[in-house]
This record gives sequence, C-alpha cells and structure tokens, in this order.
Amino acid sequence: MSGWTVQRIPAITLGVRLAAYGLALLAAILLAGLLSVGVGLPPLRLGGTILYACFATRFGLQDLALLATPLILCGLSVLMLLRVGLWNIGADGQFYVGATCAAAVGLFVGAPPWLGLPLAGLAGAAGGAAWIALPAFARLVLGVSEIITTLLLNFVARLLVDGLATGAWRDVHSSVTGQTQRIPIVLPRFPHDWHFGPVHAGVLAAPAIALLLSLAFRFTRWGYELRLCGANPQAAAYGGMPVRRRLLQAMLLGGAIAGLAGAIELTGTVHRLESGISNGYGYTGIIVAVLAAGAPLGAIVTGLLMAVVLNGGTVLQIHGLPAAAASCFIGVVLLVVALAERLAHYRLVRLRPAALAAGRAAR
Amino acid sequence: MALVSMHGITKSFYGVLANDRVDFAVEGGEIHALLGENGAGKSTLMNVLTGLYQPEEGEIRIEGHPRRLDRPASAIAAGIGMVHQHFRLVRNFTVAENLHLGWSETPARLARGALERRSAELARQFGLSVPPSALVRDLSAGEQQRVEILRVLARGARVLILDEPTAVLTPQEVVSLFAALRAFRAEGGAVILISHKLGEVLEIADRVTVMRAGRHVATRPALGATRGELARLIMGAADLGAAGTGGAAGETAQHRPSRAPVSLDPGAGQPAASPVSGAGRPAASLSGVVLRDARGIALLDGVDLEIRAGEILGVAGIAGNGQRALSEVLTGCAMPQSGEVRIAGQHFADPLAALRLGVGHIPEDRLRSALAGELSLAENAILRDYRAAPVSRGWRFSPREARALAGRIIAAAGVDRGDPALAARSLSGGNQQRLVAEREMRVAGRLLVAVYPTRGLDVGATRALHGRMQALRATGSAVLLVSEEIEELLEQADRIAVMFRGRITGILPAAEADAERLGLLMSGVEPEADEEAAWAGQHEQATASNPP
Repeated sequence: MSGWTVQRIPAITLGVRLAAYGLALLAAILLAGLLSVGVGLPPLRLGGTILYACFATRFGLQDLALLATPLILCGLSVLMLLRVGLWNIGADGQFYVGATCAAAVGLFVGAPPWLGLPLAGLAGAAGGAAWIALPAFARLVLGVSEIITTLLLNFVARLLVDGLATGAWRDVHSSVTGQTQRIPIVLPRFPHDWHFGPVHAGVLAAPAIALLLSLAFRFTRWGYELRLCGANPQAAAYGGMPVRRRLLQAMLLGGAIAGLAGAIELTGTVHRLESGISNGYGYTGIIVAVLAAGAPLGAIVTGLLMAVVLNGGTVLQIHGLPAAAASCFIGVVLLVVALAERLAHYRLVRLRPAALAAGRAAR
Repeated sequence: MALVSMHGITKSFYGVLANDRVDFAVEGGEIHALLGENGAGKSTLMNVLTGLYQPEEGEIRIEGHPRRLDRPASAIAAGIGMVHQHFRLVRNFTVAENLHLGWSETPARLARGALERRSAELARQFGLSVPPSALVRDLSAGEQQRVEILRVLARGARVLILDEPTAVLTPQEVVSLFAALRAFRAEGGAVILISHKLGEVLEIADRVTVMRAGRHVATRPALGATRGELARLIMGAADLGAAGTGGAAGETAQHRPSRAPVSLDPGAGQPAASPVSGAGRPAASLSGVVLRDARGIALLDGVDLEIRAGEILGVAGIAGNGQRALSEVLTGCAMPQSGEVRIAGQHFADPLAALRLGVGHIPEDRLRSALAGELSLAENAILRDYRAAPVSRGWRFSPREARALAGRIIAAAGVDRGDPALAARSLSGGNQQRLVAEREMRVAGRLLVAVYPTRGLDVGATRALHGRMQALRATGSAVLLVSEEIEELLEQADRIAVMFRGRITGILPAAEADAERLGLLMSGVEPEADEEAAWAGQHEQATASNPP
C-alpha cells in the first residue's frame, strides 16, 4: 500500500520560515494583480507599484521605517506576553495610554528637551504598564481571561484619547478638530546630510529593544524561568519558580513596551495626540508576534513585512481602490501569510517500498 | 478458524517501523495476552485493529474474510471493541448517558428514565453491575472500567481489547474483572489483553504473544510458560546487564552505565531489602496534617507519619484516597491547613524550600506536572539544577552549560533517542519517566517522593527504576513509594502504609503484609473482631474464584 502521505513537522527551520513568508508575499502581489484587474488597471502593475513604492524610493524606505517602528514594538509587546503563555490583545490601548502620558508630560511639565524626552518615554512606558495592570490583576488573582480584559480596555483607551483630544486638551487655535496642540517634546531626527527625512531617532528603539529582549530570553535565568512558566505553569511551580511574579513581570513589561511605542509615535511622527494615532498597530502587532514564532529578532522581520503589507493598502487606495477594498486586501494578505506559516509545517512524503526496506535494513 | 487475524501488518511513522510484518491471530473463546516493552508496537498494532491507523502493508481478516477497517466505526461494526488504559468516558455525564453516547441504536428522542432503563437492561444482560444514574466522576476506577466494558459489549463486540486493565483496580476488583472475562470467553468471545504484569497474564490468559521492536517474536500457550521465559522474550536475551553483548534487536547493545544488572526472573526478589537501620532521625514527618481542597473537602484528614532515613516506605491505596495530597505536602506544593510537616526536622513553605532541603518529586502525572511538553529535553532536564553554577551565575544563564548538564542527565537516564533539542512530549512515556526519575534522584538527598513511578513502564525500565531506588536508599535517603501494585510494594518497601479517605488505616512491615490484608485496608475495612466473619467470607470468595 504505497502512495503519498502528509507528514507534520513539529518545528521548522529559519530558512523554511523565511521562504514561506517570501512565497506568501509573492501570492499577495498576485492578489493585488487580481484586484487591479477589477479596478481596470493592468494586472501585476499594482503589485509592482507596491514593491516599487516601498523599496525603490527614498520616501518609500523612510515611510517603511516609520511605519515598522510601532508595529515592531507592539509586536514585541505581544511577544513578551506570549513567552509566558498569555495573550496581549490590548497593545493598542496601552499604545494610546502611553501616548497620552507622554503628551501630558509634554503639555504640562515644562522641562528642557534633554529631560523632557526621557521623561516622556518613561511616562509612556509607565502608562502602558498601568493600563495592563488591571487585566494582570484580574488574570493572576481572579483567573479572568486576559484576552477579554485587555481587548475591552482598548476601547476605553481610545475613547479616553478622543475625549481629551476633543475636549480638555484640544487645540483651540487649530481648525482641525479632534487633536491636541503640537506637543513640544520632539524626538530628534538624524543629521540632515544622511537624508533620512522625517525618520526620527525613535526607529532605533525597535531593534534595540528586540535585541535586549533576545539576549535576556537566552542568557538570563529570568528568561529561562519565563519560558518555563509559559510552557507549563504547574511544572514551573513544582520546580520552585515564582510563577505569578514572573507572569506579572512579563505582563507589565509588555504593557510598558506598547506604551513606549505610543510615546515614540507621538513625539517622533505624529506630534499631536489624536484618536488616529494608532492605526490598529496593537492589533497588527499580534500578527507580528505570532509570525515571529517567539523570537524577538524575528519580530523585526515580521514587523517590516506587515509594514509592507499596510503600505500596499495605501498604494491601492491611491490608485483608486476604495478604502474598504484596501482593508480587504490587507486582511487577505495576512490570512495568506498565516496560512503559509502553518503549511510550512507540512510536507508531502512518498511512501516507497524502498523506504520500508531501508527502514528494515537499518534495524 | 481464527476470529480475528492480522497478516503482515506494517506501519511506520516518519521512517520508524512501529510494526514490521506482524502476524497476530485470536481465536474465539480465548484470552490472548499481548506482551512487550513500551515502544514494542503493541499499541500501534491495536490501533490498526481498531481502525485508527491504516497499515501500509498487510491485511486483517475477520473470520477468514478480509476486511478493511478504515475507520473506528468499521472496527466497531466488525465487532471489535477496545477499553483503553485511560478511560474515554465523559466525567460529567451519567453512566446511562455515557453508554448511549455515539451509538447508532440510541433512540432519537431521549428521556432520562428511558436511557436508564435501557442501561439497566444492558447491565443485566451482560452481567456487569453499574449504577445507571450515577455520574461517572463519582465512580471508582473499577466501576468506571465496568462502564467502559459494558459500552463496548453493548455495541456487539465479540473481540474485547483491554489495555492495562488492572492498573487502577484493587485486588478484589481484579478478581471481579477476571470473572467477567472468563464469562465472556465462555460465550465464545475473544479477549486481547495488553499488560505488563506477567503474574496476572499467566493467571488469566490462554495464549501469550510477545512483540519486540515492532516485530512478532513468539506465541506460546500460557500453560507451562514461566515469567522468566516471558521476560527473556520481552527484553531480548541481550539485556543481561551493563556488559551486554549485542542482541538481536541491536538497541540493547548500548552501554547504559546506570542501569542495575537485570535479573531475568522477575519473580526473584530484589536485592534483599537489607533493613537499613532507621538511623534515628526521621527524614520526614507529618503530625496531625489536615489538607482541604478548594471545596473544603478534606484530602488529608489527620495524618501522622514518620519516614525514616534509609528506608523505602510504600504507600498503598486506591487512587484518590489522599496519596497525591500526601506527596504534595511533603514536597511543598501544598500547605496543610493544620498540622506540621517537617523534612529533617525543619519547616518549609514552598517547593523551592523543599528542594533545598533535598526533596525530589516524581509526580503522578509527569507530563502535566514535571515536564513542559513543548520545550526541549534540555530545558526540562535542568529544571531542578538550573539555579546553581555552572548553569547560572547570579542572574546570568549559560545555554551552553545548560545543554552540557542536560546531556549528562539524559545520558544517565538512559533515554534512547536522546537528542536534547527534541520536544519532551515526543518521548515515549517510559522515556519521559526515566528522565524525570533521573532528574529527581539527583536532587533527592533526603527524600524522594515517587508517585506511581512505574505506571506504564515496561519490565526493563521498571527493574532499572527499582535498582536506582535501592541505590538511593543505600546512600541514606528515604523513599516514599506510592504504588498501586501490591507486588511492587511487597518487593521494594521496608514498611507499607495504607491510605483510605485521607487517613492512614495501617502501617505494616513488608514482611508481615500480604495482598489480601492490604486489599482490605485499602477498601477501608479493618479486620475488627466483629468483622472477622465478613473478612473470612470475602477471603473464601476470593480464593474460590481465584485458584492459587
């Protein structure tokens, strides 16, 4: 009875994973091609346009860097909780609250720039951590699912920002409603001759934090204990580890990273607190984290991947596709990438009598 | 003509041959035992027979007619039913509901009363008494097993496959089970019995088949076979100790330094439990310990116990009478509401403190409590040792040193296929147990708490574990051995304590204990003066249906 069978591989190598993402991106390009036919454009042209727009122009690369930073950081935030087996669906809310706290420092604390900037960063991190503290308590003490609590607090955070931006903190001198005045604390840009344009120093935070986390996970006792607490809390407790404390530390740190992301986005890119400051970065961060398969450095790659996909949506809109269709496109691409990652775990194997004979000979 | 016969069955997984051209046949009206080490291929063969796996080669014949069993439903339709080692019952449902689950004959409209009446009728028909309206989770293991068997029989099974059926039964329940099997056999049914317990197998089976390394090795009549002979067949004549010569199976040729030399006759007593003097100070002591669970139910109800250094204290009892709670208070996993637990005279408040006092813990459910299944062997092996140099210095952690330590532990444990990067859950149960046992014995300077450590282990691994425990004991550590196998306790322990409903109903020196006395203590019956008659009556019944 020989034939084909499908085998599942428990863990795939890095090369296979990257190949899967690459193929998925290719599939996405083809998909854009299909969509462009629907809009009346030559197929594949749209896909090419997306790639060109992202990688072939200076503006494109700058945009990519600016877009990837909050995505990578939110991804790291979610990754931090994934390491202990929890889900941070609230990175978006923590992002908002972090931005709010940084805005507060900017608007109300008259500090010189060299002090104000780190203060704003700290405030952002503290805000994010504070925003996850309630779900952390609910989960660790009461056993309430953190998926629900962190998710629901996203709405609260967004409404909070809405309220502040249209109410107490609104910019009375501007004709644009729904935003605060310009926050005086600004992240520095790179030297002019480097031609980095609007890219600010905050983009260094993403790879820096990713590297720090990667080292911490591998080379500290704390990192090992986190991994064990996440994989099997019962075994970890039996091994003498302070499970709840580790889980709390991971959650607070995750919240802090997302809050910091908000602070960086505010002081580097947007400069005003408004309800559009997060473009679903927290939610996309979930995908970044899942695709990174637990590796902080991997989040850099998958964050960039997501940035390309989001940029693609923008390019489509420029070329006449309605915003809803662009969202659809993004959704489908994400689906394809996720499927590719899963399918990379399977391979087709031919059962041959020769293989059986080899199996017997080896015994 | 055989009722069921399997010819040339071959099945492989990822290039490993689990079954290699296996022939196996069962006649109607026979009890046929299937023996072999863990990993020998017995479960795979039975999974093929019950339609869960499709063989790559070979065929199955039912009463001489070739049949394709492509789904479990086909096997059930062919009259093959299996009772698994871990029951597949829904614990929150009643017995009646479980019996009717997934059954084509269940009427579309159900009334609870109707279901229960049908169940009672089935029970009467097959002579297995079960309470139809009881919730499964309230039943004892023996009763649950009866429900499983009844479920299989009700669907018209003529071939009954039992996987380690006596693992969770008291001696009295084993007697009832064997009586039921004999009745089934008398009506022409066939029983395939998978077991590691050679004594029971020789008692109940008509024929015995031994598998090793995926191959069929031998089929013998049970009459006239000895346990030594069977053990030899199961393990392969090569496994004669540390300096083993290359054997037919090849895999036993590796030198495993920590394995105690294996005596080929499992009936011969272990290196005589030389009564090491208790050396005065107890390794551990409990006084008046009460432990309640979240619902306020007393898991331990006033336990006083002393475990002496250098002794093996066995704990007998039906699972669920407080053994797990006992192991948890001794290892710091649970704190008693009242009473005191001390290790070497000292208090402790958490597992880490217990570890530092030299307590090792082999828990009952190793995959759930002692191992992180999705992590690698290396990460699991260092679970106890990782805080110390050279693996950790302060907050720093060295993956390289961790791997080196893990490699040493894995090698000492004798885990074959010991690639440290493999996920722990991909190991067989026996290998997982070896790893956990080795890891825990390394840290058990004062006390090793072993809860059902040989459950699911084959003969070779069990011998090795026992040897290690004896060695540990010789160094002055104490061992608390919780076991459901009376034989194991009688062989290994110095004293045997019996637990029932969270209390210790009796402690006997092993020399004075026997299966019946322990069995009664396990059921909560204490031979008082006015209960002598009842005890004698039960004793007579037991020996009548179970000729020595």
